[in-house]
Amino acid sequence: MRESGFVRGRRGRVLGLFSPLEAELLRSLVSQVVELVRDQSPEKSASADPLESMLEMDGPLTTPDDPVLARLLPDAYADDEAAGEFRRYTERTLRDQKAQQGRQVIQDLEEAGLPTEVDPGGELIELDLAADRSQAWLRCLTDVRLALATRLGVEEDDEEYWDGLPEDDPRAYLHDVYDWLGYVQETLVHALS
Amino acid sequence: MEGVSAPTPVELERPDVDDVVQPDLPWITIVWNDPVNLMSYVSYVFQQYFGYPKPKAEKLMMQVHRDGKAVVSSGVREEMERDVQAMHGYGLWATLEKSDA
Repeated sequence: MRESGFVRGRRGRVLGLFSPLEAELLRSLVSQVVELVRDQSPEKSASADPLESMLEMDGPLTTPDDPVLARLLPDAYADDEAAGEFRRYTERTLRDQKAQQGRQVIQDLEEAGLPTEVDPGGELIELDLAADRSQAWLRCLTDVRLALATRLGVEEDDEEYWDGLPEDDPRAYLHDVYDWLGYVQETLVHALS
Repeated sequence: MEGVSAPTPVELERPDVDDVVQPDLPWITIVWNDPVNLMSYVSYVFQQYFGYPKPKAEKLMMQVHRDGKAVVSSGVREEMERDVQAMHGYGLWATLEKSDA
């Protein structure tokens, strides 16, 4: 049986394969990221005027408090004022982009047969992604990995720490998921290269 | 950052480099190391977005990995803002600043 992950398809397409439980896990993680980038909608800046609202230039001026959002929507400048100005013009677009690609990933999984109530013994989920969709997957997997890593506090060269956690530590499971997502993304990068 | 103009909306076309007024140059885009993004992915992004050949993309990726950061592009400020926004879209940690050079 082929392993989970992605392989190169024909004409720039990419083929993916996941067990029902893996696909369900992906859907759940991606949904959480979509909710995160959407739900805490950016506060309007004090200087917002109707014209700026219409042109969507009235985004937030400060870095999000949530460390995951701060990593997904980082400051573009070291200088706070310049970073705020940049954020005001761009954060909403970036949030929309991240939410959109997450929704595309979920749609792809469901169109490939992932039911609302997952059946662990059900059919494998097979994906056949066109180039634009595989880009959405690539970015979305990155966002999910960044979110998990930020929540876990993943650092450079810390494998020993995670390997040493007792099996019943919930963080050990989450870190296994994080590692698995890295593996899946590696297969996707390879399939696209 | 004093005296610089507000960011221009990113929808602007990339300016023709020949038309660029010299005092606006150069700004640089810096990509910072993070413990999450795969080396293969970072190299892929540099090839995909900047159109860099693989050896250059790999070299920049290794520089990010080893030195903690690398300058991945330079140009006028608006262009660098667009590059930084694109890097954030890919989930890379990027900033722009005025070059010391």
